Amino acid sequence: MRKNAEFLMKTLAGMEIPGEARINVRARVIRAFAECFGITDPKYVGEIDEEIIAPKAFANSFTVKSFYILIPSSKLTLPDGTQRDFLLNPNKLLHAGNRYNWEGCVPVRAKDKLRGKGKWSKVWLVEKNMTLFAELLLEVRNQNNELVCKVTTIAAVRAGGY
Amino acid sequence: MVKIADLKVGDVIKIEFDQITRELLKKYAKSSGDTNPIHTNDAIAERARLKGVIAHGLFSFGFATKLFEDYLNQGEFGELIDLNLEMRGMVRCGDNLITEATISKIEGKKVTFDMKQTTITKVDIKDKGGNIVKQFEAGERGYVSEKDIAQGLIHEKEVSEGILTYRERMATHGTAIIELKE
Repeated sequence: MRKNAEFLMKTLAGMEIPGEARINVRARVIRAFAECFGITDPKYVGEIDEEIIAPKAFANSFTVKSFYILIPSSKLTLPDGTQRDFLLNPNKLLHAGNRYNWEGCVPVRAKDKLRGKGKWSKVWLVEKNMTLFAELLLEVRNQNNELVCKVTTIAAVRAGGY
Repeated sequence: MVKIADLKVGDVIKIEFDQITRELLKKYAKSSGDTNPIHTNDAIAERARLKGVIAHGLFSFGFATKLFEDYLNQGEFGELIDLNLEMRGMVRCGDNLITEATISKIEGKKVTFDMKQTTITKVDIKDKGGNIVKQFEAGERGYVSEKDIAQGLIHEKEVSEGILTYRERMATHGTAIIELKE
C-alpha cells in the first residue's frame, strides 16, 4: 500500500489528464438543476431556452461529468511498462473538498458546448489512516474558448483504493 | 441593495433548507450526472456501510451558491467569484441544512466570508418518562455514532411533544468571495 502511495505521489503530481470532457448544456437540465435548490428566478428557469443561464450551482454538474470522463483516462505507467488506473477500487473514493473560481469567467448558457481539461496537482498521504489525497485542477471553457469556471477538487482515497 | 458602504466585518447571512428527501436526491443525481447509487439506493448504501443514502458531496454547495445569488439579487448587486469548501460531515435525508456566511474581510469591492454549513439531524422525541414517542430516520437507522456522543454533538431541547434529541454537526466549512458593483 505504501509503495503504491509513493508511486502515485511521484508520478501523478503535475500530470496532465489526456483528452477533454465535452458537455452539451441543455436548457431542461439547467431548469431541473435549479429546481433542486428551489431556484425560481426566470433568469435560470425561464421558458425561452436561448435566454436562460445556469445558476452558479450548475458548476457541480459539469465538474462531476468532467471527472467521470477524465479520471478513467488517467492511466499511469508502472516501472515494468504495464499500465494501471489511478483508482484500484472506486468505492474507496471520497470527495474531500472543492473550490470553484469564477473570476474573469462568463456565465454558462443553455446550448453551450463546454470542454473541460484536467490536471493532477498535489498528491499526499495521511499516514495515520493511510488515506491518499489528490488535488485535481479542471478548467472549463465554452465553445468560444471563454472560461466558465476554474475548479479545484480534492479527492480522498481510503486504504485499499489505490 | 447590497453596497460595500453598508457592510462590516462580522455581518452574517444565512439560509436553511429542511426538505432533503430521497426524491430530491434522485432528481439531483439525474441533473448533476452524479449517479453513484450510494446517494439514491438504500440497499447499496447499506452495503457500503453507510446505513442509508447520503447526499452527494457537492449537493450542499448548491445551497452555498444560492445563498449568494439571492443575497446579490441574481447578479444585480454583484457576483460570487470564489467558493472553497471542505467536506466534513455527511448530509442525509431529513436533515436541516443551515448555510451561514460571516464577513471576515472587505477589500475594495471584494468581500470575503467565512462559510459554515451545519446539519441538524433529529433523532427522536421522548416523553418525561424517557419513552420514545416519535422516532426519526436517524433514530431508526442508527445514524448517530459513539463518536458523535463523545464529541458532544448530541443535544436535547423541549418541544411540544416532549424532549427532542438531535445532532448538530458541521457539514462543510471554508470561504467565499463576492465582488460587488458598488
